[in-house]
Amino acid sequence: MAKAKRVKGEWKRLTVQAAAFLLQNPKLHRFFLGTIEQGKTKSVCVPGLNCYSCPAAIGACPIGSLQASLSGGYKKPAFPFYVLGFLLLFGLTLGRWICGWLCPFGWVQDLVYRIPFFKKIRTFPYERFLRWLKYAVLGVLVIGLPLLSAFKGVLVPWFCKILCPAGTLFGGIPLAITKYGSQIGFYFWWKVGVLAALLLLSLLISRPFCRYLCPLGAIYGMFNRIALVHLDYASGKCVDCGKCETVCPMGIDPKAQFNSAECIRCGRCARSCPVDALHVRFGLRMKNDSHKKSTI
Amino acid sequence: MKRTVRICIFTVLALAGTAFLLYGIYLNQVSSVLNKATHICLECIGIG
Repeated sequence: MAKAKRVKGEWKRLTVQAAAFLLQNPKLHRFFLGTIEQGKTKSVCVPGLNCYSCPAAIGACPIGSLQASLSGGYKKPAFPFYVLGFLLLFGLTLGRWICGWLCPFGWVQDLVYRIPFFKKIRTFPYERFLRWLKYAVLGVLVIGLPLLSAFKGVLVPWFCKILCPAGTLFGGIPLAITKYGSQIGFYFWWKVGVLAALLLLSLLISRPFCRYLCPLGAIYGMFNRIALVHLDYASGKCVDCGKCETVCPMGIDPKAQFNSAECIRCGRCARSCPVDALHVRFGLRMKNDSHKKSTI
Repeated sequence: MKRTVRICIFTVLALAGTAFLLYGIYLNQVSSVLNKATHICLECIGIG
């Protein structure tokens, strides 16, 4: 039996993730009513992948909003200034730290991965090619197809329609149970299948959706090199024990890829490092700017 | 990437992000987000 590698202080991150879920979804009573929140706060994008059709949500999902804005709100194609503004500012300040600490679906995957009894897989041959899929999802399902639909005068959020597991888990299933059970059809069961496959995969691989499919992670990953939240690596202190690599939930080598678009800044590597060579820090100043041992 | 280059890119993108956000508000793109977010998205829940 293989367990997920335990890291000290991990409960803090799980607590922050739970708190972030509750902050983005405080109207929990709506899960029993089968209705969604309709207040003005829903015009503001939240940082994580949090479906706005989740009954408890008080904010807007940035990926859903991006698709809606591309179609100019059912009118004609438009450049999504408003949503891109949010994405730029979130990406620049926090980068993929959002994935590691604030995203509700990331939290769910982390919890599922902690279930023991299954042999955990850190990575596998040619896995790096699969990681490019998320950019294809962003280009085709989030931008390309919704834009094509917009030219025909209709709004079809293709990513939400055929892939988004967060929408199925936090919106689709609760609403199907409480109110819309009689209306479900092919796409509902398709999305339940996608969600089930991803949750089953999460038993074996840490965060499969974040690694291979998440378009929001693809966007935030582009900012990892310049975001205020960054990973500092002191190569002079490093003793090459390899602990950071074995605990990384994204299956990367943090000391070699501290600026990688794949790093979700969860800090597991920093907490497991026996010589304090890795730190998650906030600010424009990076200690690993010159990549020289003597500078550390 | 050199620190100065990164600070320059960061500043330009931060200004662009702020400008995008404000221009989006000016264009009333807030309403298309609000409109989509306050109605149950049938596609999102797999019905539409």
